Amino acid sequence: MVDPATYSWNEMSNQTRPILEYLTLADPENVVRPMLMDWWKPSPDLRTWTLHIRSGVMWHNGEELTADHVAWNIRRWADPALGSSNLGLATFAALTEYTADPHANGGIIHRPLANGVEVVDSHTLKLNLAKPVLSVAEDFAEYPTHIAHPSFTPPFSRNPLGTGPYTLAELRVGERCILKRVTKTTAGGEFRYWGGEVYLDEIHFYHFEQENQTAALASGSVDATYELPIEELELAQSIPGAQISSVESAQTLCCRMQVDVKPFNDIRVRRALVKAADNAAIKRLVFGEHGSVAGNFHVAPVHPEYFPLPPVKHDVAEARQLLKEAGYENGIDLTITVGNNDGPWQQSACEALRDQVKHAGINLAVNVVPATKYWEVWKSVPFGATSWSHRPLGTMALSEGYRTGASWNETHFSDAAFDRALADAEATLDVPARRLKMREVERILQDAAVMIQPFWRPVFILASSKVHGYRPHPARQMQLTKVWMS
Amino acid sequence: MRTLVLRRLAQMVLIMLTVSALLFAIFDSDQFRRKVAVAELGGFGIATLSEGEYRAWVAKKGLDQPFLVRYFHWLGRIAHGDLGESLEKDVAVSTLLKESLGHTAILAFFVLLFMVPVSLGLGMLAGVREGSRLDRVISVVSIVTTSIPQIATAVLLTVVLALGLGWAPSKSAMLEGWSFRELVLPLLTLLIYEVGYLVRMTRASMSEVMASQYIRTAVLKGLPMRRVIMKHAVRNALVVPVTLICLSLNGLLSQVVVVEVFFQYHGFGRMLLDAANFGDIQVLQAATLVAVCVAVLSQLLSDMAYVLLNPRVRFA
Amino acid sequence: MKGLATAIGRRGTVATLVVLIWVPLACFVMLGPLLGAMERYVLLPATPAVVALYGMALYRWRKSWIARVGATLICFWLLIAVLVPYLPLLDPDKPIAPLALPGTVKHGVFFLLGSDLRGRDMLSRTLWGSQRILVWGITSTVAAYLVGASLGLMGGYLGGWWDEVVSFLGNVVMSFPVMVLLILILNLLGQSGFNIILAVTCSSAPLIMRIVRGLSLDAKSRGYIQAAQTRGEHPLYIMLVELLPNVRGPLIVDACLRLGYTTVAITTLTFLGLGLQPPDPDWGLMIKEAATAALLWKYSYMLIIPALSVSSLILGFNLMADGLHDLELQS
Repeated sequence: MVDPATYSWNEMSNQTRPILEYLTLADPENVVRPMLMDWWKPSPDLRTWTLHIRSGVMWHNGEELTADHVAWNIRRWADPALGSSNLGLATFAALTEYTADPHANGGIIHRPLANGVEVVDSHTLKLNLAKPVLSVAEDFAEYPTHIAHPSFTPPFSRNPLGTGPYTLAELRVGERCILKRVTKTTAGGEFRYWGGEVYLDEIHFYHFEQENQTAALASGSVDATYELPIEELELAQSIPGAQISSVESAQTLCCRMQVDVKPFNDIRVRRALVKAADNAAIKRLVFGEHGSVAGNFHVAPVHPEYFPLPPVKHDVAEARQLLKEAGYENGIDLTITVGNNDGPWQQSACEALRDQVKHAGINLAVNVVPATKYWEVWKSVPFGATSWSHRPLGTMALSEGYRTGASWNETHFSDAAFDRALADAEATLDVPARRLKMREVERILQDAAVMIQPFWRPVFILASSKVHGYRPHPARQMQLTKVWMS
Repeated sequence: MRTLVLRRLAQMVLIMLTVSALLFAIFDSDQFRRKVAVAELGGFGIATLSEGEYRAWVAKKGLDQPFLVRYFHWLGRIAHGDLGESLEKDVAVSTLLKESLGHTAILAFFVLLFMVPVSLGLGMLAGVREGSRLDRVISVVSIVTTSIPQIATAVLLTVVLALGLGWAPSKSAMLEGWSFRELVLPLLTLLIYEVGYLVRMTRASMSEVMASQYIRTAVLKGLPMRRVIMKHAVRNALVVPVTLICLSLNGLLSQVVVVEVFFQYHGFGRMLLDAANFGDIQVLQAATLVAVCVAVLSQLLSDMAYVLLNPRVRFA
Repeated sequence: MKGLATAIGRRGTVATLVVLIWVPLACFVMLGPLLGAMERYVLLPATPAVVALYGMALYRWRKSWIARVGATLICFWLLIAVLVPYLPLLDPDKPIAPLALPGTVKHGVFFLLGSDLRGRDMLSRTLWGSQRILVWGITSTVAAYLVGASLGLMGGYLGGWWDEVVSFLGNVVMSFPVMVLLILILNLLGQSGFNIILAVTCSSAPLIMRIVRGLSLDAKSRGYIQAAQTRGEHPLYIMLVELLPNVRGPLIVDACLRLGYTTVAITTLTFLGLGLQPPDPDWGLMIKEAATAALLWKYSYMLIIPALSVSSLILGFNLMADGLHDLELQS
């Protein structure tokens, strides 16, 4: 927990969330609500956004939160030198520009826009974006966008100054993190939390390896877990006094192919794989009756602008035919790389895929690598299974992962028509109108056959029966300020 | 004696220098830097960096300098007692090391506390009358216990003592503060192997002594058996086991890794594994040096014990 | 002369049998799909070889019941390892029905040893697991021996600066606690079976070297070596033909023990997530994956079965070493 802006994964931000808050909050129903900003308003072209900061929000040192503080945070994220993954989000990417380096011949530098963040008055900000962005409010709810005080210097644990109702009492990385209610400001005055009543006096986070979490709950060591892996669902059901809850999400697994690497540069090979795979069967095998089948275009039913396209038909004969046309009438040997970053279900899905495509003459080897190793190679393996986390809007993952040249474009997919159609959808604030525009976007991506995306997986959580108000969140955010214990 | 100690210590310093230089050289690869970056920024974070930004990040972390520069810099700091900062855990390495070593030391202390009397006693009993029923039982049991790897012992103890009988907690994360109850399973796991090994060695040593010429002479001279054993045999038979007890400190550092990981106990072994997986070079360096130090010192200790206890060596 | 011939003949038979078992097993595990159609047949000659080897062991070690029990355990697992592709088992990697208790039927499938969290058959995973551990364990021990013994022979016999350098390097390596060294090496090289061989070789070769060096220093002063030297034999000839066979006895005992240590090390590494990667069925991995099951008594079979399997194999190696040691003392 060195710097909230460069948090690598969600788990760290969950521990920070009760201390440092966000401008907006994505609630468990996938609706973005006001948090530290109480309203926001885009210009009709979606290039200028006015953000209004809530008044009466107090920092732990007694100061009031102002637009200047927020501007400091946004400018910081938009600085490529920081290395924050926020730059992969549309809003902050649109606050930077690429220009010729005056010092190096032909060199390109990536730098923040000069007038991107403009402070209008003490509680109003303006973002002047380089291109239209739809997801500003949603981007501010993503996990590495904690609002820190401008006095912040890394490491965060030494100076945990926030606006939330809790502060850091003890931190041992890899072991425990203990949060305590803030009652007094650091100056000694009374601290008043803007968000009203908070119920827990202390929050203790303990680090357990994934395979030990459920056991820790069963033995009474902890009251709630971050996530209940699907493999342990049946096991957890037999724990007395445990409550299991779940929510549909846009968390998914993309078995994606790089479109510029042989043999995947031949669309017939990709189509053959997609045709040979039976998404519904994979989902059934891995998640049973939970979750929903995905259609290889990375927009989920939980997204407001989801346009339901007909699924790709599972057709082994056609897959064989396509392979034959591509010159592989004797079958083809392929390897898919997978790291079980989110649990062994990823491997299960790949193994199910392997068994299915075998019928079409595709010999798929599943190469399981350690989770950390996968993130070293995720952008370079030709055929890999990457787990994508939930995004509140359907356009977000498309814009982050499939637009030409996007930071997280792991397939190297590049299609001018797709980029245009996506930009068009992104420039439409009205949801029903955007949904109609998404049809074209989704169709292009589905036809390009860049991935086999078998399912949208549900998120399960496990808690003891004493815990109330702890709800599963599609993006696995632990929102604990309204949780209470009996 | 003095020259032995000095020579060993000099050798230790030489080995530590070699080892630390090796580690720095080994971890001076692009692959390693990438691993650290992924561990710290995450897969999605690192993907937002352009090549130049990535290099800037590496430079900011001080990982871009050639390893010799970093090595001498590090040596200079070590000379001032500064072990550096952990890349992963943003605390001083010395703090981290002190805590985890403390936890492991507690474990090791209890292991020794139980292991020494139990295994020496059983080994002596078995060795005094080689081939007796007691000897055979003790021998077979100790072969069996040394054959079960710690990972299996840990599993079996958890299943029987924690899940079946409910006598001890199954994990030892010490969430509610220090508790001896939580130490029971890791302790037993380590003890079962160590005791078995030491019993076998003590037994072998004792039976060898009992068969030796001077014990036989003493018995023939008509001295009471009890006195012969207590006065002559035990002392000679203790030489080997005591040196082995000293050496077992070294083995313990290996064995605690799996025990600490299995029982989620926060000690040296787990810290080392964490650091190795993260690529936390500063912690890894310090931990390795400690491990080497313990290994060499335990060898030294065992050599000294050998010299002190063995009359033949002293007079030679 | 005739005695020598029979001795060589007998040793030759043992060696042939070992090769007949190890080569097909290693090919099967390491090359796997590369064998193509051969995969079905490659293990066939190994089965009679295991049986023959077991028979010989029983006969030769009739004086030591400990050694016979050890041989029985080892041959049991060896037999399983070479037979497992031909046994009517469920697919060890295929999830069928999760959490089926041992001896029950779930989703219309009978699970003798139950199924694991992901619904894979424990029986077939356990039996398949023996293959990996035996192949990687034996191969890495042999590799460690090749390196360690040749360094030790040269150090002991040749002496001089070569001895000094090799001994110092050995000391450096030996001053690491074994597990620390293995973790470091595997982290550096990445996780695969071949890297396990490398790591085990690095960590055990110095110990083997020290033993061989000591033994050959001792043997060097014996008459027959000096006789060979005066005959003007090549040092290589002396080392391999005169020295090595004479230090064989203690080395075989040590090799058995070391097989046990290596098996423990590999299982532990896999448990720590540093060894073989899933989906290969492996005992250490099975324990790791079933850690969650350690919360309910009725599911503890998932942990106990691999734990007992690995323990029985290691017990086999240790008993055999112990028995051989006794036999050595007797003769």
